[in-house]
Amino acid sequence: MSLAELSRFELRRVGGLGALCELVAEAAGRGEAPVLLAGGTDWVVEQELRPPLGPGEAPPLVVDISRMTELRGVELAGDRLRIGAAATYLDIRRSAAVLERAPLLDRMARDVGAVQIQARGTLGGNLATASPAADGVAALAAYDATVVVRSVRGERRIPFGALQTGYKRTTRAADEVIVAVEIDLPEAGSPWFWRKVGARRAQAISKVALAGVAELAPGGRLARLGVGVASVAPVTALLPSVRALALSRPLSALKAAEVDAAVDADVSPIDDVRSTAAYRAHCARAVTREFLRQLGAPV
Amino acid sequence: MRVSLVVNGSPREVDLPPLTRLLDALRGPLGLTGTKEGCAEGECGSCTVLLDGDPVNACLVAIGQCEGREVTTVEGLGDAAHLSPLQRCFIEEGGAQCGICTPGVLIAATHLLSRVAKPTELEVREALAGNLCRCTGYQRIVESVRAAAALRSTLGGSAQATRAELPTPRGEGGAS
Repeated sequence: MSLAELSRFELRRVGGLGALCELVAEAAGRGEAPVLLAGGTDWVVEQELRPPLGPGEAPPLVVDISRMTELRGVELAGDRLRIGAAATYLDIRRSAAVLERAPLLDRMARDVGAVQIQARGTLGGNLATASPAADGVAALAAYDATVVVRSVRGERRIPFGALQTGYKRTTRAADEVIVAVEIDLPEAGSPWFWRKVGARRAQAISKVALAGVAELAPGGRLARLGVGVASVAPVTALLPSVRALALSRPLSALKAAEVDAAVDADVSPIDDVRSTAAYRAHCARAVTREFLRQLGAPV
Repeated sequence: MRVSLVVNGSPREVDLPPLTRLLDALRGPLGLTGTKEGCAEGECGSCTVLLDGDPVNACLVAIGQCEGREVTTVEGLGDAAHLSPLQRCFIEEGGAQCGICTPGVLIAATHLLSRVAKPTELEVREALAGNLCRCTGYQRIVESVRAAAALRSTLGGSAQATRAELPTPRGEGGAS
């Protein structure tokens, strides 16, 4: 369709989160999914690629959530960081709490598009579209974040590992609104890692991106390891075999070949317009080892 | 939908379908054709404007999201008789060639200079990474922005501009 068709779309504002949940629940009851529009960095672009509306086909209801204060905050309480679903990547970068306690998020957000996209794009949007290429979602995966959703039935907290079920599919129900993500932060000063591989640094969807967090324990072991990898599987890859391997022994006992084998077991990349399966697998192994090497493993 | 907003410091009102792109509202009823349409998908930065002080691609913003907001376009930076230091430097340093990317680049650079009085080359390149230029090869653009920063500090115009709300670049990971 042409963007001109957007002139037929209605844009609604709602008074608050309660009203939003009611509106979404009513639509879900009719089998409809309203568009919750924040930055529009995906949805507006997608409208150009959509087939035209058929005769008599009503355009979807679009609800502007970009300025709902209940969805916008970035707050630290103790060791738990809560980021509103409609907080922008620029909001995240400007948060003193993020800079101090979650530097991975700041570093990752710098690589999301460029400043124009960072001023509009949101974690909630990336979680809703559920693209396995989303940089922000890889970082959430590394933190084993909790996704908070709300509906007229109440609030539900989805552990990251239980969120994505397949390519652009999640366990979020049709009547549920993504409200926030919550991260139980590693100890202040803990190691973190971010590496994005793309055609260029800005305005490029990742060929592979790896986010990592860790906590070191006595005896050269890891007390915590989180890894999230974008663009190597139908869902954001959590690398469970790599995590299990690296947590099972002192870092000094890790071997490169074992790490590579664990990565291979955890990813299933494809050939597409941006890269090849072989290159993605190579990068996934290389950046995983780079992260572990930075932690002290001889890999 | 009637939308009231402030454009380049002046209160304006438009009556448009709510999902009209801010870009079309600016270039159409608001009569501000300085903002250019390039890719129309948030890739090229030609349509960059400031929305409440932050750079956005006007092709991705719905006018219905702009109620009560402040928009700054290239026309708000200066005019032929009163060029901003940045605009002057783009002319003097060869930062503009065909001109399609220039309004968006000027807006993104204005945003940078409002936060970082004397940006490094790396800071300029990162701040302009969302603005594609097919003519200059970027070097002259970077030099223009840095010349503007130097000129402004000479003029004392924005000497009070504080450094970096945004953090300075750093490495790929960290530990302490």
